[in-house]
Amino acid sequence: MISRSPLILLSLFSLFMISCAGVDQSRVTEGTEGNLEAESLPPADQDPVSDQDHFSNQNPVSNKEDEFGELEDEFAAVEAEPVFDPLSGYNRGMTQFNDGFFDWVVYPVSEGYKLILPKGGRIAINRFFKNLFFPIRFANNVLQLKYDKAAIETGRFIVNSTVGLLGFFDPAESWLQLKPHPEDFGQTLGFYGVGSGFHIVLPFLGPSNLRDLVGKVPDIYATPLTYLDPVEAAYAAETHRRLNDASIRLGEYQSLRKDALDLYTFLRDAYERNRKAEIEE
Amino acid sequence: MKTWILIFLSLSLFSSTVFADELSEVDHFMKEKLSTVMKVLENKSLSKEQRDAAVLVQINAAFDFNKMAKLTLGRKYWPGLSTTEQTRFTSLFIQRMQASYLEKLDLYTDEQIAYNPPIRVNKNVHMLTELVSGDNHISMRYKLYKSKESGWRVYDIELEGVSIITTYRSQFYEVLDKGTINDLLNKLEQADGM
Repeated sequence: MISRSPLILLSLFSLFMISCAGVDQSRVTEGTEGNLEAESLPPADQDPVSDQDHFSNQNPVSNKEDEFGELEDEFAAVEAEPVFDPLSGYNRGMTQFNDGFFDWVVYPVSEGYKLILPKGGRIAINRFFKNLFFPIRFANNVLQLKYDKAAIETGRFIVNSTVGLLGFFDPAESWLQLKPHPEDFGQTLGFYGVGSGFHIVLPFLGPSNLRDLVGKVPDIYATPLTYLDPVEAAYAAETHRRLNDASIRLGEYQSLRKDALDLYTFLRDAYERNRKAEIEE
Repeated sequence: MKTWILIFLSLSLFSSTVFADELSEVDHFMKEKLSTVMKVLENKSLSKEQRDAAVLVQINAAFDFNKMAKLTLGRKYWPGLSTTEQTRFTSLFIQRMQASYLEKLDLYTDEQIAYNPPIRVNKNVHMLTELVSGDNHISMRYKLYKSKESGWRVYDIELEGVSIITTYRSQFYEVLDKGTINDLLNKLEQADGM
């Protein structure tokens, strides 16, 4: 039942992708170039400096503008690449729905769950699930030619599955300083220059975009939980995982929400920028 | 020819030591501030008010909130405001930033900070840190510039690759592109009461 539909989805979305990727790719490369300039050429990068000199030579009067200096240029560059958002009407509605779902379901249920299980237990369960997702991290590190990180992930999986008692503990990090290197297929697509496509807010799951949605399909196939039999067990396990995760990071969403003047655009921009940073890593 | 080479060599030596000094200066400065904040958070005998006040002393010394306020409006909007509007905006913005920062600290009770060596980006220095809380690693990049009056100061923070200034800026621009500065000030005031 579950195995057919993702395939159809994949082929449908890949059609979409082809039509969107062309448009978006230029945007992505533009962004990366801008960043490269800022990040990798520390002392030699003279563009903003000379720009600035130019500016102040032309208007020697405006001291106020001078105060901005090159700092301003760093942020002005970001504005040039707005998020592609043809579904904003639907997205806005779905953000409201998800927000209500958080307040009325996720929050009270997680609070109850917290009463049953102390924090240590919830962290251990979180680790257990994360350990199970090793195939996703391994495959996508390899696909992005990050062999050293794939090797670290393998080491982590072996150590944590055995000494770490099925992944409930993380001796790989606490004893061996092997840090996790999460990668998913959406990031792999981004790594090869696929643009993010349009932004879309998924019911219950929150912000995403076309690229990351397509990326979910192979990742679902690489998740051991998917192969639980019967299918209901897979859904139950996934629900438990999400509930457990929510109980650990409960305050995060509420605190984040307060930073927003407009919740939808705030979450959208934060999601897209965070993904961009993850892909460039 | 020889003298030129000598001058060139001594200059490059000089500049590299200056850069190295500045990096270690930022390193010391930020480590001192952040570790003091951590110590305050660990001290369970303090009330929430005392704790917040002690944290604010540290971050007010490290963060250039006035600069941040200016950067979120940018060249496009800041110079067009009257002095009263600028002052009002700045104070509302600062209140908001401080409240947001303090609240984020509340979330992570058992956190630790891991420091990576600072790096130079253009004229600025970025301090790379990682907040380790339970099983979560949250990358935090403090960006500092050298101000003439008060030395190195933080002008932006990137949380998991998302810049705080950029985030506020795109939200503020959305309001200002459609409305006026008063709309923005009202929104900021309302949100403050939340």
